[in-house]
Amino acid sequence: MSSTICEKILAKHAGKKEVKPGEVVICDIDYAMVTDTRAANTIKMIGKMDETHLVFAKKTALVLDHYSPPPNLEAAAIHTSMRQFSAQHGSKIYDIGDGICHQVLPEGGHLTSGDLVVGTDTHSVTYGAFNAFGIGIEGTDVSAVMKSGRLWFRVPETIKVQLNGSLQAGVWAKDLTLHLLGHFGAEGLNYKAIEYYGSAVAAMEIDDRMTLCNHAAELGAKAALLEADQKTIDWLAAHGARLPSPVFADADAVYSEQLSIDVDQLIPQVARKHQIDDIVAAQDIEQKIQFALIGTCTNGRLDDIRQAAHILKGKKIAQGVRMIVTPASRQIYLAALREGLIEILTMAGASFEAAGCGTCVGITNHLVPGNGDTVISSANRNFKGRLSNSNADIWLGSAATVAASALTGKITDPRTVEGGLWRSGI
Amino acid sequence: MTDASTLIEGKVFLLGDDVNTDIHCSSKYLPGKGSDYVSTIAFDELSSGLAKKISVSGGILVAGKHFGINSSREQAVEVLRLMNVKCIIAESFGRQFFRNAINNGLPVVECDTSQFQNSDHLNIHMNLGIVENTSKNIKIQTQALPSEILKIIEVGGLIPFLKLHPNWEFVE
Repeated sequence: MSSTICEKILAKHAGKKEVKPGEVVICDIDYAMVTDTRAANTIKMIGKMDETHLVFAKKTALVLDHYSPPPNLEAAAIHTSMRQFSAQHGSKIYDIGDGICHQVLPEGGHLTSGDLVVGTDTHSVTYGAFNAFGIGIEGTDVSAVMKSGRLWFRVPETIKVQLNGSLQAGVWAKDLTLHLLGHFGAEGLNYKAIEYYGSAVAAMEIDDRMTLCNHAAELGAKAALLEADQKTIDWLAAHGARLPSPVFADADAVYSEQLSIDVDQLIPQVARKHQIDDIVAAQDIEQKIQFALIGTCTNGRLDDIRQAAHILKGKKIAQGVRMIVTPASRQIYLAALREGLIEILTMAGASFEAAGCGTCVGITNHLVPGNGDTVISSANRNFKGRLSNSNADIWLGSAATVAASALTGKITDPRTVEGGLWRSGI
Repeated sequence: MTDASTLIEGKVFLLGDDVNTDIHCSSKYLPGKGSDYVSTIAFDELSSGLAKKISVSGGILVAGKHFGINSSREQAVEVLRLMNVKCIIAESFGRQFFRNAINNGLPVVECDTSQFQNSDHLNIHMNLGIVENTSKNIKIQTQALPSEILKIIEVGGLIPFLKLHPNWEFVE
Protein backbone atom coordinates (compact mmCIF):
# COMPACT_ATOMS: atom_id res chain seq x y z
CA MET A 1 0.00 0.00 0.00
CA SER A 2 1.32 3.40 -0.89
CA SER A 3 -1.55 5.86 -0.57
CA THR A 4 -2.00 9.50 0.37
CA ILE A 5 -4.59 10.65 2.94
CA CYS A 6 -6.82 11.72 0.08
CA GLU A 7 -6.64 8.32 -1.64
CA LYS A 8 -7.22 6.47 1.61
CA ILE A 9 -10.36 8.43 2.49
CA LEU A 10 -11.80 7.92 -0.98
CA ALA A 11 -10.89 4.21 -0.99
CA LYS A 12 -12.49 3.66 2.39
CA HIS A 13 -15.71 5.34 1.27
CA ALA A 14 -15.73 3.42 -2.03
CA GLY A 15 -15.33 0.09 -0.23
CA LYS A 16 -11.98 -0.52 -1.95
CA LYS A 17 -8.55 -1.47 -0.67
CA GLU A 18 -6.89 1.27 -2.64
CA VAL A 19 -7.58 3.76 -5.41
CA LYS A 20 -5.32 5.44 -7.94
CA PRO A 21 -5.36 8.96 -9.46
CA GLY A 22 -7.61 9.16 -12.52
CA GLU A 23 -9.87 6.34 -11.37
CA VAL A 24 -13.60 7.05 -10.97
CA VAL A 25 -15.07 5.84 -7.69
CA ILE A 26 -18.56 5.85 -6.20
CA CYS A 27 -18.28 6.86 -2.56
CA ASP A 28 -20.57 6.77 0.46
CA ILE A 29 -20.96 10.27 1.86
CA ASP A 30 -20.88 11.04 5.59
CA TYR A 31 -22.57 14.42 5.55
CA ALA A 32 -23.87 16.95 3.00
CA MET A 33 -24.60 20.66 3.05
CA VAL A 34 -26.62 23.05 0.87
CA THR A 35 -26.27 26.84 1.09
CA ASP A 36 -28.92 29.37 0.17
CA THR A 37 -27.14 30.37 -3.05
CA ARG A 38 -27.59 26.87 -4.49
CA ALA A 39 -30.79 25.86 -2.70
CA ALA A 40 -33.13 26.93 -5.49
CA ASN A 41 -31.13 24.90 -8.04
CA THR A 42 -30.91 21.93 -5.66
CA ILE A 43 -34.66 21.89 -5.03
CA LYS A 44 -35.22 22.15 -8.81
CA MET A 45 -32.91 19.18 -9.47
CA ILE A 46 -34.55 17.13 -6.70
CA GLY A 47 -37.88 17.84 -8.42
CA LYS A 48 -36.48 16.32 -11.64
CA MET A 49 -35.68 13.08 -9.82
CA ASP A 50 -39.35 12.28 -9.02
CA GLU A 51 -38.18 11.00 -5.68
CA THR A 52 -40.28 11.67 -2.61
CA HIS A 53 -38.18 9.71 -0.14
CA LEU A 54 -34.73 11.28 0.22
CA VAL A 55 -32.79 8.82 2.33
CA PHE A 56 -29.92 11.23 3.00
CA ALA A 57 -31.91 14.41 3.70
CA LYS A 58 -31.51 13.93 7.46
CA LYS A 59 -27.73 13.93 7.02
CA THR A 60 -27.86 17.14 5.01
CA ALA A 61 -27.73 20.60 6.56
CA LEU A 62 -29.37 23.59 4.90
CA VAL A 63 -27.49 26.80 5.70
CA LEU A 64 -28.93 30.30 5.21
CA ASP A 65 -25.65 32.23 5.15
CA HIS A 66 -24.97 34.07 1.90
CA TYR A 67 -28.15 36.12 2.23
CA SER A 68 -27.98 36.63 5.99
CA PRO A 69 -30.17 38.59 6.45
CA PRO A 70 -31.93 38.47 3.06
CA PRO A 71 -31.42 41.69 1.09
CA ASN A 72 -34.54 41.32 -1.07
CA LEU A 73 -37.71 39.36 -1.67
CA GLU A 74 -36.05 36.81 -3.99
CA ALA A 75 -33.55 35.84 -1.29
CA ALA A 76 -36.28 35.77 1.36
CA ALA A 77 -38.31 33.44 -0.89
CA ILE A 78 -35.37 31.06 -1.20
CA HIS A 79 -35.07 31.02 2.58
CA THR A 80 -38.78 30.23 2.92
CA SER A 81 -38.42 27.29 0.51
CA MET A 82 -35.42 26.00 2.51
CA ARG A 83 -37.39 26.13 5.76
CA GLN A 84 -40.23 24.25 4.07
CA PHE A 85 -37.82 21.65 2.68
CA SER A 86 -36.29 21.17 6.11
CA ALA A 87 -39.72 20.69 7.73
CA GLN A 88 -40.73 18.20 5.04
CA HIS A 89 -37.54 16.11 4.88
CA GLY A 90 -36.02 16.51 8.33
CA SER A 91 -32.85 18.29 7.20
CA LYS A 92 -31.01 20.27 9.86
CA ILE A 93 -31.41 23.98 9.23
CA TYR A 94 -29.07 26.80 10.19
CA ASP A 95 -31.09 29.97 9.87
CA ILE A 96 -29.93 33.55 9.29
CA GLY A 97 -27.41 34.71 11.87
CA ASP A 98 -26.42 31.16 12.81
CA GLY A 99 -23.30 31.41 10.70
CA ILE A 100 -21.38 30.41 7.59
CA CYS A 101 -21.75 26.82 6.38
CA HIS A 102 -18.05 26.02 6.80
CA GLN A 103 -18.12 27.19 10.40
CA VAL A 104 -21.45 25.71 11.53
CA LEU A 105 -20.76 22.25 10.09
CA PRO A 106 -17.71 21.57 12.27
CA GLU A 107 -19.10 23.58 15.22
CA GLY A 108 -22.34 21.58 15.02
CA GLY A 109 -20.42 18.32 15.31
CA HIS A 110 -21.50 17.18 11.84
CA LEU A 111 -18.08 15.98 10.69
CA THR A 112 -15.06 14.19 12.09
CA SER A 113 -11.59 13.01 11.01
CA GLY A 114 -11.67 10.51 8.16
CA ASP A 115 -15.06 11.72 6.86
CA LEU A 116 -16.09 12.50 3.29
CA VAL A 117 -18.26 15.62 3.30
CA VAL A 118 -19.82 17.43 0.34
CA GLY A 119 -21.23 20.95 0.21
CA THR A 120 -22.61 23.29 -2.45
CA ASP A 121 -19.81 25.78 -1.96
CA THR A 122 -16.26 25.77 -3.28
CA HIS A 123 -14.81 26.47 0.17
CA SER A 124 -15.98 23.08 1.47
CA VAL A 125 -12.26 22.23 1.30
CA THR A 126 -12.10 23.87 4.77
CA TYR A 127 -13.04 20.53 6.43
CA GLY A 128 -9.58 19.24 5.57
CA ALA A 129 -8.43 21.13 8.68
CA PHE A 130 -10.09 18.27 10.61
CA ASN A 131 -8.59 15.52 8.42
CA ALA A 132 -11.92 15.24 6.61
CA PHE A 133 -12.19 15.21 2.80
CA GLY A 134 -14.38 18.23 2.07
CA ILE A 135 -15.38 18.96 -1.49
CA GLY A 136 -17.52 21.56 -3.27
CA ILE A 137 -20.33 20.31 -5.50
CA GLU A 138 -23.49 21.61 -7.22
CA GLY A 139 -27.23 20.99 -7.13
CA THR A 140 -27.34 17.84 -9.25
CA ASP A 141 -24.57 16.29 -7.16
CA VAL A 142 -26.25 16.99 -3.85
CA SER A 143 -29.60 15.79 -5.22
CA ALA A 144 -27.95 12.48 -6.09
CA VAL A 145 -26.48 12.36 -2.57
CA MET A 146 -29.84 13.04 -0.93
CA LYS A 147 -31.41 10.26 -3.01
CA SER A 148 -28.67 7.64 -2.72
CA GLY A 149 -26.18 8.74 -0.05
CA ARG A 150 -23.45 8.32 -2.67
CA LEU A 151 -21.60 10.32 -5.33
CA TRP A 152 -19.00 9.81 -8.07
CA PHE A 153 -15.48 11.22 -7.81
CA ARG A 154 -12.43 11.14 -9.96
CA VAL A 155 -9.48 10.38 -7.70
CA PRO A 156 -7.17 13.42 -7.83
CA GLU A 157 -3.41 13.47 -7.83
CA THR A 158 -2.05 14.63 -4.48
CA ILE A 159 0.64 17.25 -3.91
CA LYS A 160 2.56 17.36 -0.63
CA VAL A 161 3.49 20.74 0.84
CA GLN A 162 5.83 20.73 3.81
CA LEU A 163 5.69 23.94 5.87
CA ASN A 164 8.83 24.06 8.00
CA GLY A 165 9.81 26.45 10.78
CA SER A 166 7.32 28.68 12.57
CA LEU A 167 5.39 31.80 11.68
CA GLN A 168 6.65 35.01 13.27
CA ALA A 169 4.39 36.98 15.61
CA GLY A 170 2.02 39.09 13.49
CA VAL A 171 2.12 36.59 10.63
CA TRP A 172 -0.87 34.28 10.18
CA ALA A 173 -2.08 31.39 8.05
CA LYS A 174 -3.67 34.01 5.80
CA ASP A 175 -0.25 35.42 4.95
CA LEU A 176 1.03 31.93 4.26
CA THR A 177 -1.85 31.05 1.94
CA LEU A 178 -1.51 34.34 0.07
CA HIS A 179 2.17 33.49 -0.36
CA LEU A 180 1.17 30.05 -1.71
CA LEU A 181 -1.25 31.70 -4.14
CA GLY A 182 1.60 33.85 -5.38
CA HIS A 183 3.70 30.71 -5.78
CA PHE A 184 1.22 28.40 -7.53
CA GLY A 185 -1.04 31.03 -9.12
CA ALA A 186 -4.84 31.08 -9.04
CA GLU A 187 -6.18 27.67 -10.12
CA GLY A 188 -2.55 26.52 -10.15
CA LEU A 189 -3.51 23.26 -8.42
CA ASN A 190 -6.67 22.63 -10.45
CA TYR A 191 -8.16 19.12 -9.85
CA LYS A 192 -5.44 18.27 -7.30
CA ALA A 193 -5.58 17.47 -3.61
CA ILE A 194 -3.08 19.16 -1.29
CA GLU A 195 -1.68 17.67 1.89
CA TYR A 196 0.00 20.12 4.26
CA TYR A 197 2.59 18.91 6.76
CA GLY A 198 5.30 20.37 8.96
CA SER A 199 6.02 22.18 12.19
CA ALA A 200 4.25 25.37 11.05
CA VAL A 201 1.00 23.43 10.64
CA ALA A 202 1.42 21.62 13.96
CA ALA A 203 1.88 24.97 15.73
CA MET A 204 -1.29 26.48 14.24
CA GLU A 205 -4.48 26.73 16.25
CA ILE A 206 -7.62 25.24 14.67
CA ASP A 207 -8.80 28.68 13.49
CA ASP A 208 -5.63 29.18 11.44
CA ARG A 209 -5.67 25.60 10.15
CA MET A 210 -9.16 26.26 8.78
CA THR A 211 -7.83 29.36 6.97
CA LEU A 212 -5.00 27.31 5.47
CA CYS A 213 -7.37 24.69 4.06
CA ASN A 214 -10.10 27.17 3.10
CA HIS A 215 -7.88 29.17 0.75
CA ALA A 216 -7.03 26.01 -1.23
CA ALA A 217 -10.23 26.76 -3.17
CA GLU A 218 -8.48 29.72 -4.84
CA LEU A 219 -5.67 27.37 -5.81
CA GLY A 220 -8.33 25.35 -7.64
CA ALA A 221 -7.73 22.36 -5.38
CA LYS A 222 -10.27 19.58 -5.01
CA ALA A 223 -9.35 19.06 -1.36
CA ALA A 224 -6.80 20.27 1.21
CA LEU A 225 -5.98 17.88 4.01
CA LEU A 226 -4.10 17.99 7.31
CA GLU A 227 -3.23 15.15 9.64
CA ALA A 228 -5.31 14.96 12.80
CA ASP A 229 -3.39 15.57 16.03
CA GLN A 230 -4.39 16.01 19.66
CA LYS A 231 -5.58 19.58 18.98
CA THR A 232 -7.91 18.27 16.26
CA ILE A 233 -9.24 15.45 18.39
CA ASP A 234 -9.83 17.71 21.41
CA TRP A 235 -11.59 20.31 19.27
CA LEU A 236 -13.87 17.72 17.66
CA ALA A 237 -14.72 16.21 21.06
CA ALA A 238 -15.51 19.66 22.47
CA HIS A 239 -17.97 20.19 19.60
CA GLY A 240 -19.78 16.88 19.90
CA ALA A 241 -18.42 15.26 16.74
CA ARG A 242 -18.57 11.50 16.19
CA LEU A 243 -15.43 9.61 17.28
CA PRO A 244 -12.64 10.49 14.83
CA SER A 245 -10.98 7.90 12.57
CA PRO A 246 -7.77 9.77 11.73
CA VAL A 247 -6.25 8.88 8.37
CA PHE A 248 -2.50 9.08 7.75
CA ALA A 249 -0.60 8.75 4.50
CA ASP A 250 1.61 5.71 3.97
CA ALA A 251 5.36 6.28 4.28
CA ASP A 252 5.75 5.43 0.58
CA ALA A 253 2.68 7.38 -0.61
CA VAL A 254 3.03 8.64 -4.18
CA TYR A 255 2.69 12.41 -4.62
CA SER A 256 2.57 14.15 -7.99
CA GLU A 257 4.75 16.92 -6.58
CA GLN A 258 6.51 17.65 -3.28
CA LEU A 259 7.40 21.07 -2.05
CA SER A 260 9.11 22.33 1.07
CA ILE A 261 8.69 25.90 2.28
CA ASP A 262 10.54 27.55 5.16
CA VAL A 263 8.07 29.95 6.79
CA ASP A 264 10.42 31.59 9.33
CA GLN A 265 11.11 34.62 7.15
CA LEU A 266 7.55 35.13 5.91
CA ILE A 267 6.14 38.59 6.60
CA PRO A 268 2.53 39.88 6.26
CA GLN A 269 1.29 39.60 2.67
CA VAL A 270 -1.55 41.23 0.74
CA ALA A 271 -3.25 40.40 -2.55
CA ARG A 272 -3.44 43.49 -4.72
CA LYS A 273 -6.77 44.63 -6.17
CA HIS A 274 -8.68 42.33 -8.54
CA GLN A 275 -6.18 39.47 -8.52
CA ILE A 276 -5.90 36.80 -5.88
CA ASP A 277 -2.43 35.74 -6.99
CA ASP A 278 -0.88 39.21 -7.32
CA ILE A 279 0.86 39.10 -3.94
CA VAL A 280 3.09 41.71 -2.29
CA ALA A 281 4.40 42.34 1.22
CA ALA A 282 2.13 44.70 3.20
CA GLN A 283 5.18 46.77 4.22
CA ASP A 284 5.99 47.55 0.57
CA ILE A 285 2.63 49.11 -0.21
CA GLU A 286 1.56 52.76 -0.06
CA GLN A 287 -2.20 52.55 -0.45
CA LYS A 288 -4.96 54.50 1.29
CA ILE A 289 -8.12 52.59 2.21
CA GLN A 290 -11.69 53.65 2.95
CA PHE A 291 -13.39 50.38 3.90
CA ALA A 292 -12.08 47.61 6.19
CA LEU A 293 -13.80 44.25 6.44
CA ILE A 294 -13.20 41.34 8.81
CA GLY A 295 -15.24 38.20 8.40
CA THR A 296 -16.01 35.36 5.92
CA CYS A 297 -15.28 31.62 6.02
CA THR A 298 -11.59 32.42 5.53
CA ASN A 299 -11.00 34.82 8.42
CA GLY A 300 -14.08 35.53 10.52
CA ARG A 301 -13.18 33.32 13.47
CA LEU A 302 -12.49 34.19 17.11
CA ASP A 303 -8.71 34.48 16.65
CA ASP A 304 -9.31 36.91 13.76
CA ILE A 305 -11.55 39.10 15.89
CA ARG A 306 -9.01 38.86 18.73
CA GLN A 307 -6.26 40.06 16.38
CA ALA A 308 -8.33 43.12 15.53
CA ALA A 309 -9.21 43.81 19.18
CA HIS A 310 -5.58 43.66 20.28
CA ILE A 311 -4.70 46.27 17.66
CA LEU A 312 -7.71 48.55 18.16
CA LYS A 313 -8.13 48.42 21.94
CA GLY A 314 -8.47 51.96 23.26
CA LYS A 315 -7.92 53.39 19.74
CA LYS A 316 -10.10 54.85 16.99
CA ILE A 317 -10.04 53.82 13.36
CA ALA A 318 -8.73 56.52 11.02
CA GLN A 319 -11.00 59.32 9.93
CA GLY A 320 -12.74 58.53 6.66
CA VAL A 321 -12.52 54.76 7.17
CA ARG A 322 -15.56 52.51 7.77
CA MET A 323 -15.05 49.12 9.35
CA ILE A 324 -17.43 46.18 9.49
CA VAL A 325 -17.03 42.83 11.21
CA THR A 326 -19.16 39.75 10.51
CA PRO A 327 -18.33 36.85 12.86
CA ALA A 328 -18.31 33.49 11.07
CA SER A 329 -20.99 32.09 13.36
CA ARG A 330 -23.36 32.85 16.21
CA GLN A 331 -21.07 30.87 18.55
CA ILE A 332 -18.14 33.09 17.55
CA TYR A 333 -20.29 36.21 17.90
CA LEU A 334 -21.23 35.13 21.41
CA ALA A 335 -17.65 34.23 22.36
CA ALA A 336 -16.44 37.62 21.10
CA LEU A 337 -19.20 39.29 23.12
CA ARG A 338 -18.23 37.44 26.28
CA GLU A 339 -14.54 38.29 25.83
CA GLY A 340 -15.38 41.96 25.47
CA LEU A 341 -14.04 42.08 21.90
CA ILE A 342 -17.25 43.49 20.46
CA GLU A 343 -17.16 46.37 22.93
CA ILE A 344 -13.51 47.11 22.11
CA LEU A 345 -14.10 47.11 18.36
CA THR A 346 -17.40 48.99 18.53
CA MET A 347 -15.76 51.72 20.63
CA ALA A 348 -12.96 51.88 18.07
CA GLY A 349 -15.55 52.66 15.37
CA ALA A 350 -16.31 49.25 13.85
CA SER A 351 -19.83 47.94 13.27
CA PHE A 352 -20.92 44.34 13.69
CA GLU A 353 -23.33 42.65 11.30
CA ALA A 354 -25.10 39.31 11.52
CA ALA A 355 -22.94 36.21 11.28
CA GLY A 356 -22.85 35.07 7.66
CA CYS A 357 -21.16 35.70 4.31
CA GLY A 358 -22.00 39.41 4.12
CA THR A 359 -18.43 40.74 4.05
CA CYS A 360 -17.58 38.41 1.17
CA VAL A 361 -20.48 38.64 -1.25
CA GLY A 362 -21.49 42.18 -0.31
CA ILE A 363 -25.17 41.85 -1.02
CA THR A 364 -26.57 42.33 2.45
CA ASN A 365 -26.97 45.50 4.46
CA HIS A 366 -24.61 48.38 3.78
CA LEU A 367 -21.68 46.22 2.78
CA VAL A 368 -21.42 47.54 -0.77
CA PRO A 369 -18.36 49.81 -1.15
CA GLY A 370 -18.76 53.20 -2.82
CA ASN A 371 -17.43 54.04 -6.28
CA GLY A 372 -13.69 54.58 -6.15
CA ASP A 373 -13.35 53.05 -2.68
CA THR A 374 -10.38 50.90 -1.79
CA VAL A 375 -11.30 48.00 0.45
CA ILE A 376 -8.99 45.93 2.63
CA SER A 377 -10.67 42.65 3.50
CA SER A 378 -9.92 39.34 5.20
CA ALA A 379 -12.07 37.53 2.58
CA ASN A 380 -10.82 35.01 0.01
CA ARG A 381 -11.87 36.60 -3.28
CA ASN A 382 -11.15 40.04 -4.67
CA PHE A 383 -12.05 39.91 -8.35
CA LYS A 384 -13.51 43.03 -9.88
CA GLY A 385 -17.19 43.28 -9.05
CA ARG A 386 -17.01 41.21 -5.87
CA LEU A 387 -18.93 43.06 -3.12
CA SER A 388 -21.35 44.11 -5.87
CA ASN A 389 -19.43 47.15 -7.13
CA SER A 390 -16.99 46.89 -10.02
CA ASN A 391 -15.90 50.49 -9.36
CA ALA A 392 -14.26 49.55 -6.07
CA ASP A 393 -10.87 47.92 -5.52
CA ILE A 394 -10.56 45.04 -3.10
CA TRP A 395 -7.26 44.09 -1.46
CA LEU A 396 -6.92 41.06 0.80
CA GLY A 397 -4.92 40.48 3.96
CA SER A 398 -5.07 38.91 7.42
CA ALA A 399 -7.49 40.21 10.05
CA ALA A 400 -4.47 41.81 11.77
CA THR A 401 -3.52 43.58 8.52
CA VAL A 402 -7.12 44.76 8.07
CA ALA A 403 -7.26 46.13 11.64
CA ALA A 404 -3.84 47.82 11.36
CA SER A 405 -4.93 49.37 8.05
CA ALA A 406 -8.21 50.60 9.55
CA LEU A 407 -6.20 52.23 12.33
CA THR A 408 -3.82 54.10 10.03
CA GLY A 409 -6.08 54.61 7.00
CA LYS A 410 -3.63 52.88 4.67
CA ILE A 411 -2.46 49.34 4.08
CA THR A 412 -0.25 48.59 7.07
CA ASP A 413 1.97 45.74 8.22
CA PRO A 414 0.39 44.79 11.59
CA ARG A 415 3.83 44.20 13.13
CA THR A 416 4.38 47.96 13.07
CA VAL A 417 1.42 48.84 15.31
CA GLU A 418 0.77 48.24 19.00
CA GLY A 419 -0.95 44.89 19.62
CA GLY A 420 0.04 43.63 16.18
CA LEU A 421 2.44 41.06 17.59
CA TRP A 422 -0.23 39.21 19.57
CA ARG A 423 -0.10 35.43 19.16
CA SER A 424 -2.84 32.94 19.74
CA GLY A 425 -2.58 29.87 21.96
CA ILE A 426 0.40 31.11 23.98
CA MET B 1 -20.86 1.55 -26.49
CA THR B 2 -20.54 2.07 -30.22
CA ASP B 3 -18.33 4.63 -31.85
CA ALA B 4 -21.30 6.21 -33.62
CA SER B 5 -23.09 6.93 -30.35
CA THR B 6 -20.18 8.98 -29.13
CA LEU B 7 -19.14 10.76 -32.32
CA ILE B 8 -19.68 14.49 -32.18
CA GLU B 9 -19.31 16.67 -35.28
CA GLY B 10 -19.40 20.42 -35.57
CA LYS B 11 -17.92 23.80 -36.22
CA VAL B 12 -15.50 25.57 -33.86
CA PHE B 13 -16.50 28.70 -31.94
CA LEU B 14 -13.44 30.07 -30.20
CA LEU B 15 -13.06 31.60 -26.73
CA GLY B 16 -9.88 32.40 -24.77
CA ASP B 17 -8.44 31.50 -21.35
CA ASP B 18 -10.05 31.87 -17.92
CA VAL B 19 -13.66 32.13 -19.10
CA ASN B 20 -15.76 32.67 -15.97
CA THR B 21 -19.16 31.13 -16.66
CA ASP B 22 -20.69 32.80 -13.59
CA ILE B 23 -20.06 36.18 -15.21
CA HIS B 24 -20.55 35.30 -18.88
CA CYS B 25 -23.05 32.45 -18.84
CA SER B 26 -25.41 32.67 -15.85
CA SER B 27 -27.92 34.95 -14.13
CA LYS B 28 -25.68 35.41 -11.10
CA TYR B 29 -25.19 39.06 -11.98
CA LEU B 30 -28.50 39.38 -13.87
CA PRO B 31 -31.05 38.95 -11.09
CA GLY B 32 -34.51 38.11 -12.36
CA LYS B 33 -33.29 37.00 -15.83
CA GLY B 34 -33.79 33.38 -16.83
CA SER B 35 -31.66 30.94 -18.81
CA ASP B 36 -33.62 31.67 -22.02
CA TYR B 37 -32.48 35.29 -21.86
CA VAL B 38 -28.89 34.45 -20.88
CA SER B 39 -28.67 32.02 -23.82
CA THR B 40 -29.13 34.97 -26.21
CA ILE B 41 -26.35 37.15 -24.75
CA ALA B 42 -23.89 34.68 -23.20
CA PHE B 43 -20.18 35.43 -23.82
CA ASP B 44 -21.07 38.67 -25.66
CA GLU B 45 -18.30 40.54 -23.85
CA LEU B 46 -15.75 37.97 -25.02
CA SER B 47 -17.02 37.30 -28.54
CA SER B 48 -19.75 39.60 -29.77
CA GLY B 49 -22.87 37.82 -31.02
CA LEU B 50 -21.45 34.36 -30.28
CA ALA B 51 -24.66 33.05 -28.69
CA LYS B 52 -26.73 33.95 -31.72
CA LYS B 53 -24.19 32.60 -34.23
CA ILE B 54 -23.79 29.29 -32.46
CA SER B 55 -27.50 28.74 -31.91
CA VAL B 56 -28.24 28.74 -35.67
CA SER B 57 -26.73 25.36 -36.44
CA GLY B 58 -25.04 24.32 -33.22
CA GLY B 59 -21.35 24.01 -32.66
CA ILE B 60 -18.39 23.15 -30.52
CA LEU B 61 -17.10 25.68 -28.03
CA VAL B 62 -13.28 25.72 -27.94
CA ALA B 63 -11.46 27.50 -25.12
CA GLY B 64 -8.04 27.76 -23.52
CA LYS B 65 -7.16 27.23 -19.88
CA HIS B 66 -9.62 27.06 -16.95
CA PHE B 67 -12.94 27.21 -18.77
CA GLY B 68 -15.59 27.79 -16.07
CA ILE B 69 -13.24 28.77 -13.22
CA ASN B 70 -14.31 29.58 -9.65
CA SER B 71 -17.70 28.62 -8.24
CA SER B 72 -19.27 27.74 -11.55
CA ARG B 73 -23.06 27.76 -11.49
CA GLU B 74 -24.75 24.68 -12.87
CA GLN B 75 -27.08 26.99 -14.79
CA ALA B 76 -24.22 27.63 -17.24
CA VAL B 77 -24.65 24.12 -18.65
CA GLU B 78 -28.38 24.64 -19.13
CA VAL B 79 -27.62 27.91 -20.95
CA LEU B 80 -25.01 26.20 -23.16
CA ARG B 81 -27.57 23.55 -24.10
CA LEU B 82 -30.11 26.23 -24.99
CA MET B 83 -27.40 27.83 -27.15
CA ASN B 84 -27.07 24.53 -29.03
CA VAL B 85 -23.51 23.80 -27.84
CA LYS B 86 -22.73 20.14 -28.60
CA CYS B 87 -19.42 19.83 -26.79
CA ILE B 88 -16.77 21.97 -25.11
CA ILE B 89 -13.08 21.48 -25.72
CA ALA B 90 -10.60 23.32 -23.52
CA GLU B 91 -7.02 22.98 -22.38
CA SER B 92 -8.40 22.67 -18.84
CA PHE B 93 -11.65 23.25 -17.02
CA GLY B 94 -12.57 24.69 -13.65
CA ARG B 95 -13.22 21.65 -11.49
CA GLN B 96 -16.85 22.45 -10.69
CA PHE B 97 -17.74 23.28 -14.28
CA PHE B 98 -16.29 19.95 -15.39
CA ARG B 99 -18.55 18.11 -12.92
CA ASN B 100 -21.56 20.18 -13.89
CA ALA B 101 -21.09 19.42 -17.59
CA ILE B 102 -20.85 15.67 -16.97
CA ASN B 103 -23.77 15.70 -14.52
CA ASN B 104 -25.92 17.37 -17.16
CA GLY B 105 -24.84 15.26 -20.11
CA LEU B 106 -22.74 17.88 -21.91
CA PRO B 107 -19.58 16.31 -23.41
CA VAL B 108 -16.30 17.90 -22.32
CA VAL B 109 -12.82 17.18 -23.68
CA GLU B 110 -9.44 18.33 -22.41
CA CYS B 111 -7.16 18.93 -25.36
CA ASP B 112 -4.46 21.28 -26.67
CA THR B 113 -6.55 23.83 -28.55
CA SER B 114 -3.74 26.20 -29.56
CA GLN B 115 -3.99 25.42 -33.29
CA PHE B 116 -7.77 25.57 -33.59
CA GLN B 117 -9.48 28.48 -35.34
CA ASN B 118 -13.02 29.69 -35.71
CA SER B 119 -15.09 27.63 -38.17
CA ASP B 120 -12.68 24.66 -38.24
CA HIS B 121 -14.63 21.42 -38.58
CA LEU B 122 -14.14 18.83 -35.83
CA ASN B 123 -14.95 15.14 -35.40
CA ILE B 124 -14.74 14.11 -31.75
CA HIS B 125 -14.69 10.45 -30.81
CA MET B 126 -15.57 10.61 -27.12
CA ASN B 127 -14.95 6.96 -26.27
CA LEU B 128 -11.56 6.90 -27.99
CA GLY B 129 -10.49 10.35 -26.80
CA ILE B 130 -9.66 11.38 -30.38
CA VAL B 131 -10.21 14.93 -31.65
CA GLU B 132 -9.92 15.30 -35.43
CA ASN B 133 -9.68 18.76 -36.96
CA THR B 134 -10.54 17.99 -40.58
CA SER B 135 -10.01 21.60 -41.68
CA LYS B 136 -6.41 21.55 -40.44
CA ASN B 137 -5.84 17.85 -40.99
CA ILE B 138 -4.82 17.39 -37.36
CA LYS B 139 -5.64 14.36 -35.24
CA ILE B 140 -5.09 14.64 -31.49
CA GLN B 141 -5.14 11.69 -29.11
CA THR B 142 -6.33 12.85 -25.68
CA GLN B 143 -6.90 10.93 -22.48
CA ALA B 144 -10.39 9.45 -23.00
CA LEU B 145 -12.81 10.01 -20.13
CA PRO B 146 -13.26 6.97 -17.87
CA SER B 147 -16.07 4.66 -19.03
CA GLU B 148 -18.24 5.54 -16.00
CA ILE B 149 -18.15 9.23 -16.93
CA LEU B 150 -18.93 8.46 -20.58
CA LYS B 151 -21.91 6.42 -19.41
CA ILE B 152 -23.31 9.32 -17.37
CA ILE B 153 -22.86 11.69 -20.35
CA GLU B 154 -24.37 9.18 -22.77
CA VAL B 155 -27.66 8.86 -20.87
CA GLY B 156 -27.98 12.64 -20.52
CA GLY B 157 -26.56 13.26 -17.06
CA LEU B 158 -26.54 12.08 -13.47
CA ILE B 159 -30.28 12.34 -12.76
CA PRO B 160 -31.29 10.26 -15.83
CA PHE B 161 -28.45 7.86 -14.97
CA LEU B 162 -29.75 7.33 -11.42
CA LYS B 163 -33.28 6.77 -12.74
CA LEU B 164 -31.87 3.94 -14.88
CA HIS B 165 -29.36 2.71 -12.30
CA PRO B 166 -30.56 3.63 -8.81
CA ASN B 167 -27.71 1.70 -7.20
CA TRP B 168 -25.01 3.24 -9.39
CA GLU B 169 -24.54 0.10 -11.49
CA PHE B 170 -21.98 0.71 -14.25
CA VAL B 171 -22.57 -2.46 -16.24
CA GLU B 172 -21.19 -2.33 -19.75
